[in-house]
Amino acid sequence: MSSFFESVFEFLFKYRPLVFEKGRLAFTTPWPVFVVFLALALVVLLALISYGRARSGNRRDIVIFSSLRVGALALLLFSLSRPALLVPTVVPQRNFLGILIDDSRSMGISDQDERPRSDFVYQSFGSADSVLYAALAERFMLRFYGFSGRAERIDGVSDLRFAGGRTDLAAALDRARRDLAAVPVAGLVVLTDGADNSDASLTESLLALNANSIPVYAVGLGRERYDRDIEINRVETPRTVLLGSSLVVDLTVRQRGYKGETVQVTVEEGARIIAAQDVRLPADGESAVVRVHFDAEEPGPRIYRFSIAPQPGERVTKNNSQEVLIVVEDRREKILYFEGEPRFELKFIRRAVSDDENLQVVSLQRTAENKFYRLDVDDAEELAGGFPRTREELFRYRGLILGSVEASFFTHDQLRMIEEFVGQRGGGVLFLGGRRSFAEGGYDGTPVAAVMPVVLESPEAIGGRRGRGEEPFFAELKVEPTRFGLNHPATQIGATVEESGRLWAELPRVSSVNPIYEVKPGASTLLSGRAEGSTDEHIVLAYQRYGRGKALALPIQDSWIWQMHADVPLDDMTHETLWRQLLRWLVAYVPDPVVAEAASDLANPGEPVPLTAEVQDETYLKVNNAEVVAHVSGPAGETYDLPMEWALEEDGEYQASVTGDAEGLYEIRVEAHKEGEFLGEHTTYFQATELTTEYFDSEMRSELLKRIADETGGRFYTARTVRSLPEDVSFTESGTTVIEERDLWDMPIILLLVLALIATEWGYRRYRGLV
Amino acid sequence: MKSALSKKMIFAALGLPALGLGADITNHLASPQVLSIVPDREQFEAVRPAEEVGSRAFYFTRAIYTGYRRGFYGSWSIDYPKADRQFLIGLRRLTNIDAYELENPIRLDDPDIRRFPFLYALEVGYMSLSEAEVVGLREYLQAGGFLVIDDFWGSYEWSNFESEIGRVLPGYAIVKLPLDHPVLRTFYDITELVQVPNVRQGMMGGPTWERDGYEPALLGIFDEKGRLMVVINWNTDLGDAWEWAENPFYPLKFSNFAYQMGVNLVIYAMSH
Repeated sequence: MSSFFESVFEFLFKYRPLVFEKGRLAFTTPWPVFVVFLALALVVLLALISYGRARSGNRRDIVIFSSLRVGALALLLFSLSRPALLVPTVVPQRNFLGILIDDSRSMGISDQDERPRSDFVYQSFGSADSVLYAALAERFMLRFYGFSGRAERIDGVSDLRFAGGRTDLAAALDRARRDLAAVPVAGLVVLTDGADNSDASLTESLLALNANSIPVYAVGLGRERYDRDIEINRVETPRTVLLGSSLVVDLTVRQRGYKGETVQVTVEEGARIIAAQDVRLPADGESAVVRVHFDAEEPGPRIYRFSIAPQPGERVTKNNSQEVLIVVEDRREKILYFEGEPRFELKFIRRAVSDDENLQVVSLQRTAENKFYRLDVDDAEELAGGFPRTREELFRYRGLILGSVEASFFTHDQLRMIEEFVGQRGGGVLFLGGRRSFAEGGYDGTPVAAVMPVVLESPEAIGGRRGRGEEPFFAELKVEPTRFGLNHPATQIGATVEESGRLWAELPRVSSVNPIYEVKPGASTLLSGRAEGSTDEHIVLAYQRYGRGKALALPIQDSWIWQMHADVPLDDMTHETLWRQLLRWLVAYVPDPVVAEAASDLANPGEPVPLTAEVQDETYLKVNNAEVVAHVSGPAGETYDLPMEWALEEDGEYQASVTGDAEGLYEIRVEAHKEGEFLGEHTTYFQATELTTEYFDSEMRSELLKRIADETGGRFYTARTVRSLPEDVSFTESGTTVIEERDLWDMPIILLLVLALIATEWGYRRYRGLV
Repeated sequence: MKSALSKKMIFAALGLPALGLGADITNHLASPQVLSIVPDREQFEAVRPAEEVGSRAFYFTRAIYTGYRRGFYGSWSIDYPKADRQFLIGLRRLTNIDAYELENPIRLDDPDIRRFPFLYALEVGYMSLSEAEVVGLREYLQAGGFLVIDDFWGSYEWSNFESEIGRVLPGYAIVKLPLDHPVLRTFYDITELVQVPNVRQGMMGGPTWERDGYEPALLGIFDEKGRLMVVINWNTDLGDAWEWAENPFYPLKFSNFAYQMGVNLVIYAMSH
């Protein structure tokens, strides 16, 4: 449509709209401007006088005739004034033009008139005779770049392989801009599908181009919409999980052309299908979120492949599957459970997780004043002095459960330690309900209260109740999951959301002595409860992130009822499942003193993978002057050490870059020492493999390319409109230019308008019977 | 396993007539219904906690079971309720357990029993469980309940108990708990088992044993995962020591041990 409009415009106005956009109107008549205006005024006056004496004497006729005649005369006068457009135009062969060509794999997709997108590149720039090449080379000195993950200067399109595993437009534009910084540049021409899959932001690159007045002419290749395609475009998984954990993974499936059909998503680990889930495909262009459950049964770094079998007529099939690397850790997560008084909750929590080899719940139970009973400690020294008194001692645990223990039991420093355990160390804390918990335990106003995800009742309210002689609060609550809780891996106690909802509905009531009705801003409620005959909604499980860690509140006192109650079948595993999931979640992603992380789990061979390590001491204070070394082991057994440098802008952060040249799994064990003292180590992995990233979101992204063109003063083209590109690039103010004068007096539109005005006047006279 | 009926016949013929319970046994054999001397539930509503069940952390729960008549209500009620109350006074003073102050008797076939994970039963030598009670107790233990057995003596009573618990937990072995078992370390370090005699013999300074129960024994039954479900105090009478602990003539040695053992058992039950 726009090209049709442009053709019509060019026919009427002699030049394309771009020339008018770039040019400036000027009158090249030798007469002074005031003479022109005087002549115009005279013409109008004469016309009015002569028509004013017309025979008809009809006032309306006089106005119409005068207007038509004045208009025609004004147009003639406009032409006689020799109007022209002053357009800045490049001086031939005095300017450089950067030609950036997408060299990534997505250019091989056959959707450019059923031929690969790369064919257009060969057609346009394949030889000196190619139309586009010739037209541009006539005006500019051309400099070619091929780009995918990075940009490189090339001699011509014969150097392209269309095998790049990524597309990074920002890097390509930056490279070309820097490379051409010292020469006059008319602009950059980018031939790409626009399927950028880098994390880099374009904004900085576009600002820099703007600052250097370098317009970008973007040529979009490929279709904006596939007619038939299914794509798994997002897989959300944790990077590490505990062995035996149940994983709940959300996939986003997008499709066109298969609306309403049912396909199966499979999860494979090695050659084994470990889960499958049917999904009914949504409307065209919409996404469906598919939730897949499976268990992490084998320890170590595991590659999980999520896929949908290719469907008949699919445009691209390589985007039907995605792989993710998940490290399944076979370690015992140590959790300290401090209970301020003997309660059955301790017995049943221990019982629930006793079969879980990856959880070690070390219990410290205060049985009388200053008398403690320790369970599941590693040695005689552990917790021998009661609740930890130093950060080193407390921070050894990854999770902390606080039972019914009053705030005044702790010293102020211990309360601060608990707060730092979550905020600084990144541990998980779970506050259980009880007569000495929450507000009833006097936590309001302590550092620990800040960690709690719930709003505590004020001491005045509690005191007021006591003062009125009221019984302490007690309510038996029917618990139900919130919408968030129904889907949450910790509280989804059934295989499906529906089954989970049914199981929650069947569970008997549990009791609470802590009236809590509100969560803090930013906290989420997973479970809520109601007492019989009451409309008050009690918080039963709430969660918030606090600093680097997480805090959970479970203000009920007898979750063991869900195990013991006569209404619960003996073989029911709800209580066990809930506590296992809850405690695994509590300690999920809790950092070690040294944490290493590869920027991406999967990378193309030869592609550098940034590696960062966070180094802290045993009290989780950042260490800047450590000796940090990454021991890299490749798939063929090759090993080498890589020193990591402190990133000056971040305390305790060290950086390096690892490249996996051969395909396979790379293990990176990062060790940190300070003055000879071992601080810790952590192992991370990445898999070097030919990525299929290029086939995802691979439709031509015209919006992105238009943005690049618009923000830099360039234009966007498709293969059909690119014909005008050489001329358009010529009208640039960048580089070495001259001002070209283009006459407008002979625009067909002027002649047509004059004729139309005269013809109208004549027709009107006929109509009025004046001829 | 011997059948329950044959056990009862031997028991009736040899043991009970001497205790003046011959008539009961005769009736029982003729019509087992007659000797099911379990009080009606309503009868015990009055002594069940007045406040809402569940508001306290611990209820000293005594098993009401069918047995031969001893005591006011039956063999289950020996020392009831004074022993329960006095033990609770000690328990509350010695520990910081939020324990309900009064007794809490409950029938084995009452579904509410599952709200009390600690259960005390004594005089089990006179136990004669109905089928509903067998099922109730079995499911209680399988769900995670903890049973403490006390005050039964000698081989005859053992034989009856063994038979009855065999009905509840068929195939589960009764094993002797060693002196270094955690149940003897939870609160007090108990290094030797003291035989606690009945109150009469205790205060009179007579022999501490009854019938042929010369040696006190601490035994247990574990579930398939090695978790202790039942602790059996055989040839000893902790309940009497709790009941008479306030009596100046009752030897401190016995009451001390009984309280220590009781506290340890409760703490163990609440943590294991």
